[in-house]
Amino acid sequence: MKKNLKIYPFTAIVGQEKMKLALILNVINPSLGGVLIRGEKGTAKSTAVRALADLLPERDQIETCRFSCDPTNADQACSDCLEKIKGAKLSTVQSKMKVIDLPVSATEDRVVGTLDIEHAIKKGEKRFEPGILAQANRNILYVDEVNLLDDHVVDILLDSAAMGVNTIEREGISFTHPAKFTLVGTMNPEEGDLRPQLLDRFGLVVDVFGESDISQRVDVIKRRLDFEKASEAFHQEFNQQQVELSDTIQKAIDFLPTVTFDDQLLETIAKISTSLGVDGHRADIVMMKTAMTIAAYRGRNEVTKDDVKEAAGFVLPHRMRKRPFDDSQFGIGSIEEIVNELVS
Amino acid sequence: MNNTVFPFVAVVGQEEIKNALIWNVINPKIGGVLISGEKGTAKSSLARGVCNLTAGTELVELPLNTTEDRLLGNIDFEHAIKSGERRFEAGILKKADNNLLYVDEVNLLSDHIAKSLLEVASSGVNIVEREGMSYRHASNFVLVGSMNPEEGGLRPQFLDRFGLYVEVTGETDTRVRSEIIRRRIEYERNPVAFEEKWRDESVVLGNRIERAREDLRKIVVSENAMQLAATIVNEANCAGHRGELVIIETAKAIAAMDSRKVLNISDIKEAAKFALPHRVRENDNEPMSSPPPPEPEEQQEELEQGEPNESGQEPEEQQNRQESPNNHSEPSEDQGDEPQENQESDAERPETPNDDQTDGDDDFFQGDSETLDAPEQIFQIARWISEREKGTITKGSGKRSLMVTSSLQGRYVRNRCPVNGKVRDIALDATLRIAAPYQKTREKNGMAIAVEKSDIRVKIREKRTGNTIIFVVDASGSMGANKRMKVVKGAIIAMLNDAYQKRDKVGMIAFKNHSSEMVLGVTRSVELAEKKLTAMPTGGRTPLAAGLNMAYEVVKAGKIKDKDMLPVIVLISDGRATYSERGMDPFEEAMKSAQKIRAEKIKAIVIDTDQSFIKLNLAEKLAVQMDADRYQIEELQAMSLVTAVGLSL
Repeated sequence: MKKNLKIYPFTAIVGQEKMKLALILNVINPSLGGVLIRGEKGTAKSTAVRALADLLPERDQIETCRFSCDPTNADQACSDCLEKIKGAKLSTVQSKMKVIDLPVSATEDRVVGTLDIEHAIKKGEKRFEPGILAQANRNILYVDEVNLLDDHVVDILLDSAAMGVNTIEREGISFTHPAKFTLVGTMNPEEGDLRPQLLDRFGLVVDVFGESDISQRVDVIKRRLDFEKASEAFHQEFNQQQVELSDTIQKAIDFLPTVTFDDQLLETIAKISTSLGVDGHRADIVMMKTAMTIAAYRGRNEVTKDDVKEAAGFVLPHRMRKRPFDDSQFGIGSIEEIVNELVS
Repeated sequence: MNNTVFPFVAVVGQEEIKNALIWNVINPKIGGVLISGEKGTAKSSLARGVCNLTAGTELVELPLNTTEDRLLGNIDFEHAIKSGERRFEAGILKKADNNLLYVDEVNLLSDHIAKSLLEVASSGVNIVEREGMSYRHASNFVLVGSMNPEEGGLRPQFLDRFGLYVEVTGETDTRVRSEIIRRRIEYERNPVAFEEKWRDESVVLGNRIERAREDLRKIVVSENAMQLAATIVNEANCAGHRGELVIIETAKAIAAMDSRKVLNISDIKEAAKFALPHRVRENDNEPMSSPPPPEPEEQQEELEQGEPNESGQEPEEQQNRQESPNNHSEPSEDQGDEPQENQESDAERPETPNDDQTDGDDDFFQGDSETLDAPEQIFQIARWISEREKGTITKGSGKRSLMVTSSLQGRYVRNRCPVNGKVRDIALDATLRIAAPYQKTREKNGMAIAVEKSDIRVKIREKRTGNTIIFVVDASGSMGANKRMKVVKGAIIAMLNDAYQKRDKVGMIAFKNHSSEMVLGVTRSVELAEKKLTAMPTGGRTPLAAGLNMAYEVVKAGKIKDKDMLPVIVLISDGRATYSERGMDPFEEAMKSAQKIRAEKIKAIVIDTDQSFIKLNLAEKLAVQMDADRYQIEELQAMSLVTAVGLSL
């Protein structure tokens, strides 16, 4: 496998275990709803997301499909692929899951897709030109500085993220295609907050801080310098770890459908949510799914209380019914306390 | 794409939304439903699921970024090029005819699209007269919208268009909650099997709906029922007559679903719960409604006895059957005024939608005198008000942030001819449509399409812009002295909270001693603003002019960066200026700065913190000079800064 040497290896990132785990969990289970990474500048947020590309699994997709449709899932295939699946005229290719970038400056027509002007002028025919959301189907959609995204682009993301479908009714085009993606966002909270609605769409949230341990900080510098000096050798050094992690991820993907849970845990989760006053039910559902994914990642086929506890740490912080400056707002500390109390 | 949808019948709880949707499918005359509520409460799933229950009603979606041409329909571009004929290509409104039109996040819909939609919704006809084309078609649809009030409200006209209103909250019972998780996970693991498992129940419900649809025509609406509806609407202080009509139509659907031919009192009452909450008129000057008197229970019971509950009809109602054909859904106008004299009006108290807020009212008034020094309480008030706004649906709060923009940012909504021949931001799709019919006859010079200057159309864009609120805070000694600063901080924090939801930007300038300081550059991070605010020290003299001048500069600089910026300067001070950088009379200098702000037509608000025994009314003079609204800090405890600013905008 050819590697992009410019990308820093995921396993070489020092510390930031929570962030790494959140990303891995989303690769294993794309239905978790993505992850938002909040933190100061220079805490390897973007590095980690880009590094993820190397670890992503291979999967089947229908050849030449613009939306990378899954040959085994007629339910979420685009109209062309649906025909092919029905007529059993499929040719399938293996391809890697990708990280698709959504630049903050992206215009709406590039995000949702638009009328193919060139085709219209040359042929006098209407044709849909797919946008970023088309590429993002079954992939990871990465938005750096997600809090700076234009509001109307955010609206579209919300819509697609919710339904897994992109519906276009604009510029003479009427078109619908699957757009089920894992939304990964990074942001520096000092530059502004995220709309509550979008915040809730992120399944998990991780707050990252710079490492405070001196020896770890030294490690960060050393590795970075090594990488910049000789990236090939650096990749070589971490190759073993990268391969191992990829394998673990693949195993977890295969294992996930067999993971079971005790009904008692559902009630525990419900209790956690009600006692913390969480809006709606998305938190509950994501919490259980995250716990299941954690179990799969650790090679267990039964969800444990500790899995739930760990999942709560990812799922709850951004869903507390808080307004800013609400003194009663729960810090991470008290979430942990309440969760601990309820889980035990 | 045949996306599986979480089966309607498998959704746990949320009976209110389910009922409202079912009634609308049974009786489209109800006029749709607006579902408002928290994130993640199955709003969208249910709207999508209800259409799968019966044949004949399809779900048509209106995406937020729809352009006008696709909503209304337009020239068939391909056909025009090939044949030179103008043919109408139908838009969403055609597809929606006799179906259910679903708008997710309806409060975020662009103004223009919303307007076109409303027009058609009220007339039932879509008339297209443009680009040499004249076309009309029927468009009767059930409008279903969902919204999260945190993102701003809906305009009253739009609200009124929705027959019913449902507010949803999450379930609180842990058993119910765990069942929700269980089903969702089961569904995601195997959607097809899950659908199969619920098929029988879906079919049963679907059949029941279809039968109810049939029965609807046979429903008798008695004079009593109409009077009751009118009374309820009148008591609830609702605008217009749509309320009555919706109540009757809804009650009919309820009865039909129950296989009854006669409306019960309980049908009307049930219908009113859904038909009125968003129609209750609010008094603008007095945001708090007085608590309704308790329901006179005994009389109500009597009335219920008087009205037949089962199909045993009174002869009188039989007669009405002939007099008022049930399809004719408009009770005569005077019915709205008449029933006050009717003794029923006393007996039947509407289920006032404000019921649950009245406790808040009481607490609030009692607490009034004690809140002076406690910012926490002011915050409570602000929260209470925003909570309340959530309940009654903030009217128009979303509007202030929507504007047509001349910049190249924003959402492309529709197109127009270029003004003065200046072409910028060309709308290619529209231009091609205009040019298309002429292609047969035009000289193309080897091109596939020849576009002439007269074909060219440019984009009209809409953009959401929050306000940019610049707080100019007096941090002088007089502010710190009697803990007024604490009150002020509480008030600002309450306002920041509002800004946070509305996506406003906030900046803060503090002045004390000899100069002013930009404590916080204009930012969207309200968290940061709060940190700076709590850490702000007070003391020294009052260079008021310096503060105002700086605010003026900040606004000017901001305008250069963003033409569409909507600045608001909020001055919080007692107006007692005591220091001038230029050695002028401090107050005179401040008045001059105020004049400058007025000259630029910058919106300003003055919060007067003067609490001394002998008031000098200096802040008032400043306010007049700036053409600003002025509020006493005491007043703010009664209405909150949030409301004050809301009223001023």
